[in-house]
Amino acid sequence: MLLLGAAVVAVIGGFPVVAGTDSYILLLLGKFLCYAIFALSIDLIWGFTGILSLGQAVYFGIGAYFVALSLKINYALDHPTRYGNKFPDFMEWNGLKALPHFMEPLVSTPFAVACALIVPTALAFIFGVITFKRHIYGVYCAVITLAESLILQEFIIEYQAYTGGFNGITDYSNYLGIPFLWFMLAVTIAFFLIARVLTHSRIGTVLKSIRDNDLRAQFMGYNVANYRIFVFCVSAFMSAAAGAMYAAWVGIISYLDTGPVFSVEGVIWTAVGGRATLIGPFLGAFLVKGLEFLLSGVLAAFWQLLVGLLFIFVVLVMPDGIVGSIAHWLRRHRKGTLTQLREEQDLLAHDREHDWQPAGVPRSGEESV
Amino acid sequence: MTQALISQILIGVSVTAILVISAIGLAVIFGVAGVINMAHGQFIMVGAYTAAVIGKMGGNTFVAIPVSFVVVALLGLAVERGVIRWIYDRPLETLLATWGVGIILEVVMKLIFGPELYYVGAPKVLAGSVHLVGRLPYPYYRLFLIVVAILMVAATFYLIFRTDFGLKVRAVRRNRAMSGCLGIDTAKIDMMIFMFGSGLAGIAGAVLAPIKSVSTTMGFRYAVDSYMTIVLGGVGNLWGVPTGGGLIGEGETLLAYKFNSVIGELLVFIFIVIAIRVFPRGIFGYQERR
Repeated sequence: MLLLGAAVVAVIGGFPVVAGTDSYILLLLGKFLCYAIFALSIDLIWGFTGILSLGQAVYFGIGAYFVALSLKINYALDHPTRYGNKFPDFMEWNGLKALPHFMEPLVSTPFAVACALIVPTALAFIFGVITFKRHIYGVYCAVITLAESLILQEFIIEYQAYTGGFNGITDYSNYLGIPFLWFMLAVTIAFFLIARVLTHSRIGTVLKSIRDNDLRAQFMGYNVANYRIFVFCVSAFMSAAAGAMYAAWVGIISYLDTGPVFSVEGVIWTAVGGRATLIGPFLGAFLVKGLEFLLSGVLAAFWQLLVGLLFIFVVLVMPDGIVGSIAHWLRRHRKGTLTQLREEQDLLAHDREHDWQPAGVPRSGEESV
Repeated sequence: MTQALISQILIGVSVTAILVISAIGLAVIFGVAGVINMAHGQFIMVGAYTAAVIGKMGGNTFVAIPVSFVVVALLGLAVERGVIRWIYDRPLETLLATWGVGIILEVVMKLIFGPELYYVGAPKVLAGSVHLVGRLPYPYYRLFLIVVAILMVAATFYLIFRTDFGLKVRAVRRNRAMSGCLGIDTAKIDMMIFMFGSGLAGIAGAVLAPIKSVSTTMGFRYAVDSYMTIVLGGVGNLWGVPTGGGLIGEGETLLAYKFNSVIGELLVFIFIVIAIRVFPRGIFGYQERR
């Protein structure tokens, strides 16, 4: 396992040295790392804790917009617009006379990065306190987060003087290059390790028990809501970091990067790779996104069709994803160690859980008319 | 000032009607069958395209309503048999699978009808407008939408609460295993209710087509608004959908008048989040014993 990880890291880290710096593939590689972190953040809340958020892109997008705005403002200081103004050109097009006062602190990039990480986490905390404390999750959480990201999207389009609107923010000096790729790789590994430690700790066990049966977890005396809020914040922090790096790397950010479609894409990467596994999100993001870049040029319209079929296929045929299915297969074909046997028992219990319901309490989502 | 306010409130009523029309099918599917149909918006879109085709062939909205109902109900039947019946016990995954169904529908409709917009005219009887307050014209078609909304809610609740079929539906909803023991074909009930809800989405598409240009991406917004309506109002009571729709419709219209539409939506969203903190299952929702 460790060898495999080291090999992957070596391939990604060593690739640009071999292939040169200005290849298109280098750009994709950095993008994929951001996508992978994004998928990992979704895996933490969905795969491990059972909260399905369709608005994770909100945190990704806010992080990305903070960094992009800061870079754009700095870029405009050195590169005056057509009329000689020293503030971003899209603000000029929209009739602003100067940089708005509330954006002035963003000149400092470290401050912007801090904002990019703290604001989404704080937002996730507020959201978590409001919803999870009242047992609002499952479908309701999914619908609310979906609406949240839709509204953020419209907000960005409406206030185009401050956000670039439909065109997004583009034309700023981005950090495309080997050093930043290595930095992103390091961050990715760090997040992977954090997720690994988190999910294999006591907290991770509680999270999984919340996913499998929150009622029983509560009876055991765990404060289910607080665990949910905690993991939601960690996840928001990760996607915000992914968004911040994405904006710095790619050099263009638009309202689409905060939208519900992107959020759901992240969910499907996780599902394809294998939810509740740590390698799954990485594998899913690289596979699906890679396929998209390979195929969308050849059959543009049919790629969307394939994505739609992929959703249905993953849910109906392969709910455990690639990694989960392989793990199942391995377990069946290998003499299990004690830990593996125990994990298998857990899985069996999880499968049975659907048949189990406490007497007198309707199954969640099953209310009377 | 009062006059402007009253006219805004009247506009809000028609926005409410639109919300109710698009949400009622979802309320049936989500509230009764317990399925999260993310393709609901695309079902509405298919209904609207059906109305566009009927319009091209010389029919009007009154012809389109039954045809769209049948077409989209059959579509719902196909989706239920093909996808949803395997995953009734995993609601969150129905969400993903039906999202995929929605993408497929959009691509297929785009391949068939091309990327251009279609326009459907309102029937001649309903052309023109009436002056209710002051000089603001209030189109007859908006009044028609209000009537349709009321009829759709009434028909749905007649079906669920006053017919034998509805009795079986409620029994299955309350206790699936016991209903099965008593000889109700639960799988068939699920199928029928999904078809009916889809058909209602078809009607929604047919009557909403004249107020908005028909495109493949028109549905998503309706789906999200419908979900917010249901989340706020709650399902399972005659007043849930109209109340949710009314609060959202009036709220957004009045706030859009005061500020702008995006601020209006944002404030209404915040209101909804706070409201479901107080009523976790919607204002008229069945309170789960937890």
